[in-house]
Amino acid sequence: MALLGYLIRRILTGIVVVWLVATAAFFLFFSRPVSTVARELAGHAATPQVINEVINNLGLNQPKMTQYWHFLNNLVHGNLGYSYFTQESVDTMLKQDLPPTVSLVIGGMILWLVTGIAVGIISATRARSFFDRFSNVVVLIGLSMPVFVIGELLIWLVFQPLYSHGFTWINIGYSGITSGFGTFLGHMILPWITLAAVQAAVYTRLTRGQLLETLGEDYIRTARAKGLSERRVIFRHAVRGALTPVVSQLGVDIGQLLGGVVVVETVFGLGGIGQVSVQAVFQDNLPVIIGFVIIAAVFVVFANIVVDLVYAALDPRVRIM
Amino acid sequence: MADTATNAARTPATTDDNVLVRVENVVKHFPVRAGGFVRHTVGQVHAVDDVSLVIERGKTLGLVGETGSGKSTLARCVAGLIPVTSGKVIFDGRDITNISRRAMRPLRREVQMIFQDPYSSLNPRRRVGSIIGEPFIIHKTATGAERKRQVQELMERVGLNPEHYNRFPAEFSGGQRQRIGVARALALRPKLIICDEPVSALDVSIQAQVLNLLADLQQEYGLSYLFIAHDLEVVRHVSDKVAVMYLGRVGEAGPKDDLYGHPRHPYTVALLSAAPAADPDTAAARHRVILTGDVPSPIDPPAGCRFHPRCPKAQEVCSREEPLLVPYQESGAEPVAAGAAATGAAATGIVGGNIHLAACHFPVADGETLASVSAKELT
Amino acid sequence: MSITEVDFQAHGVEAAQEAAAPVEGRSQWQLTWRRLRGDRVSMIALGVVVLMIVLAIIAPVFASITGHPPNTAYPIQGENAAGNPIGPFTNGFWLGTDSTGRDLFVRILYGARISLFVGVVTTAIAAFLGVTVGLMAGYFGGIIDTLLARLTDTVLAFPYVVLALALAEAFGPSLTIILVLITFFSWAGIARIVRGQTLSIKEKEYIEAARSLGAGPFRIMFLDILPNLLAPVLVVATLYIPQAIVFEATLSFLGLGIQPPTASWGNMLADAQNFYQVAWWYLAFPALFLLITTLAFNLLGDGIRDAMDPRTERLIAARRMRGRRARARKRAGSEGTAGGTGGAGPDTNFPDPVRAPGGS
Repeated sequence: MALLGYLIRRILTGIVVVWLVATAAFFLFFSRPVSTVARELAGHAATPQVINEVINNLGLNQPKMTQYWHFLNNLVHGNLGYSYFTQESVDTMLKQDLPPTVSLVIGGMILWLVTGIAVGIISATRARSFFDRFSNVVVLIGLSMPVFVIGELLIWLVFQPLYSHGFTWINIGYSGITSGFGTFLGHMILPWITLAAVQAAVYTRLTRGQLLETLGEDYIRTARAKGLSERRVIFRHAVRGALTPVVSQLGVDIGQLLGGVVVVETVFGLGGIGQVSVQAVFQDNLPVIIGFVIIAAVFVVFANIVVDLVYAALDPRVRIM
Repeated sequence: MADTATNAARTPATTDDNVLVRVENVVKHFPVRAGGFVRHTVGQVHAVDDVSLVIERGKTLGLVGETGSGKSTLARCVAGLIPVTSGKVIFDGRDITNISRRAMRPLRREVQMIFQDPYSSLNPRRRVGSIIGEPFIIHKTATGAERKRQVQELMERVGLNPEHYNRFPAEFSGGQRQRIGVARALALRPKLIICDEPVSALDVSIQAQVLNLLADLQQEYGLSYLFIAHDLEVVRHVSDKVAVMYLGRVGEAGPKDDLYGHPRHPYTVALLSAAPAADPDTAAARHRVILTGDVPSPIDPPAGCRFHPRCPKAQEVCSREEPLLVPYQESGAEPVAAGAAATGAAATGIVGGNIHLAACHFPVADGETLASVSAKELT
Repeated sequence: MSITEVDFQAHGVEAAQEAAAPVEGRSQWQLTWRRLRGDRVSMIALGVVVLMIVLAIIAPVFASITGHPPNTAYPIQGENAAGNPIGPFTNGFWLGTDSTGRDLFVRILYGARISLFVGVVTTAIAAFLGVTVGLMAGYFGGIIDTLLARLTDTVLAFPYVVLALALAEAFGPSLTIILVLITFFSWAGIARIVRGQTLSIKEKEYIEAARSLGAGPFRIMFLDILPNLLAPVLVVATLYIPQAIVFEATLSFLGLGIQPPTASWGNMLADAQNFYQVAWWYLAFPALFLLITTLAFNLLGDGIRDAMDPRTERLIAARRMRGRRARARKRAGSEGTAGGTGGAGPDTNFPDPVRAPGGS
């Protein structure tokens, strides 16, 4: 019952956040002079008549507040507006482009969490060992490299040599799961590694640091003194305590993840909603940009609720109030 | 108000000329808050509940009590560091209750504090000269070379090497750090220094040095001290008058010898018996009163006498009626009845004055043994 | 009994004990510097950072030595017959040329100017804003604190790359907009850390002591709390600089940062991805410079943190001892390479920003 109330409260505040984001985005983007937008849309050679027609068609000459109400009204009905260019509905567009993005996010997330936490645990339990030092170096390199550079290096050093030698399983571009699971994997493996690389570094570092600190605490010493095996001490007692900050970091990283998605989709030509919105940015296709921003906000809010629930489940001291 | 005025009139020993600080019915409650998004108050911590006392000029009032008895909170109310919920604090004839920081400023020169933890009370990033010199800067009383001279003079006075002017606190021992704290408190030549457990974090041998320093300084500058401690021996050593606090109230108070020699409140008796004795023979013979249970929560203090759930003498009335502070004469366990008092001077009194007061329905007589296990049975 | 009998002369005894010690105090900074100097990895990282800064400053010198200004194309000497870039150490181009036949080395040095400038300036502004806001929120609490918490939550959880792209496009890409954007997405993280530190310092008795002396809130904030914040802020700032550099490179890579022909590591790498099959050096060298620079900053930041907080080293040493004893008992397993004070310690006590907004 308390849980239900908590969920309702979180969802309500989430809706407020999404509304704030949508409003901010609307006024930020639509505050530009109408004629510049229309001129860009109509092309540089367009006559004033054409430009006026464009303005009328898009409803850009209505007062800002009218446009805003229109926008909000549509939003409540799940309508994100229509592309300036193709007149396609933005929600259909984004829906169509969702599969590559979802595949990228889920696969990349699993990969980074598993590697990050596993490497972190091993490093912490063998602090100053060769493995620890080696993973430290790799982690720092990961932290120091932009995602796009990792992607480019993978294309240059892995995809290109393999492909030119006839090993074509590993590929770039997107191939849906309907074209066969093997093909899908081959297309996704490099993007997953790219997306996971930086994040895995973050989580390795975080897990290692937290676990080292936890292992120094009194209750761990007590567990050792009880004669529990080292394995049991680490996995039953220490890891649980060390994982809670890792989970809360996940909440912070959700927003960052979307940035990574944009870059990875662009580098590998996956064509997900990230890449589409980058194109929209270049074309000044405002409805598509705002649509992406709103979807991103919804995603961030939702993911943070999930993260908080997991957090509460992991750490009994955190009570949902 | 009127009540206090009569008190003052009836107790010649504590006329306003003698009194530096007068605390009248001070109450301090801290709200207990809960809730994530919208925070709301769910209760009050009754840290200090209706305490009145006086601190006489040039004298030391010792304040004893367990952790959570409200003695540190009371001290901070007197120092003007936290606002009081109700009541009055009168310093040197001026009402300083909840006055603004600006109005308080000149008074800061007259009331200073020495803190418990010599490690946390000195900023680790500042040099000693800057720590002791800060009062001069804030109150613009000395600058440049003159400030340095004065700081070094202070350092010398409290037993520090003035050449260590440029050192950091980390380079000093606990006792030396506490001397730095004393020097800082002394810098503005205050009238009152509030010592909040100034020696409880120090080794016993160092404690003596710091206490002796404080005593010397009191003589030299005519300082008044409000001295807070949980160690009864320390309080006995430094104080003229002593007050015992329990759960935000004063249970017993009086001149040092009266209180230590003829404790009337069972809590005082228990505290005294719990203090370690230096002589093992007397220790064995002595009767120890063991208090059972924990100190109740100050959020929801017990009704009636606050000590009754743990008191060996408690009876039904104790949980119903709250006992008042009433005067006692040296000899008897019977309170001096207000009507029976011939002079009127003994009829009533105030904490910190010359009259022995206790708040108990069933006061302890001299030599009375409280129902509890003795030290012999314990071993 | 009791203390009265232990009647020392109040002064003297303790003072005499350390009369031999030096009179001048050693500050926390001096101690940190001494520890840092003993750490080889940190010193190398510091050397690399200094070297990069010097190279960036004297970039024009290299332009005149090679005779190749950064934005001048050499279609004849700088390209091969097919019109592609030429490799390192050919025709006087130390690291080869880029897609339009410009000197890659000179352009990398000019790119370093942009990267370091963006990194240092944005971090400095973000640190200033973050410290001010975090200090206020932590010290005063109340509404300011609640507002800050909501604001940082929003900023930290926002898909900023997208917003950054849109804003950069809306206002037109320029160095100013990049500085504003990166600062906007960095200050909140620093503010959050500063707030946390302020909250814990606020509880110290020396703050109460300052209040009892009559010090006002601003005096306390800036003279008592701030000096204690400088150490963690320095560590965080050192770790934010590489993030800002990466952020700038990402924006430029996506075409919304520094615009060609001005050289930036990001726009060079963006262009290079079309030529990696014929000119590996065009991709490799800017990437290498970028990596070395950010890696050096990261190593230096870790090193400073460890030097300021030697507790972490002791923690590891204790664990190592325990490990050794366990191994000795079991008579199995080989000893890992121990010793030295490595760059990356565990992230205790000092805040680890883990990753500032600006990654990806």
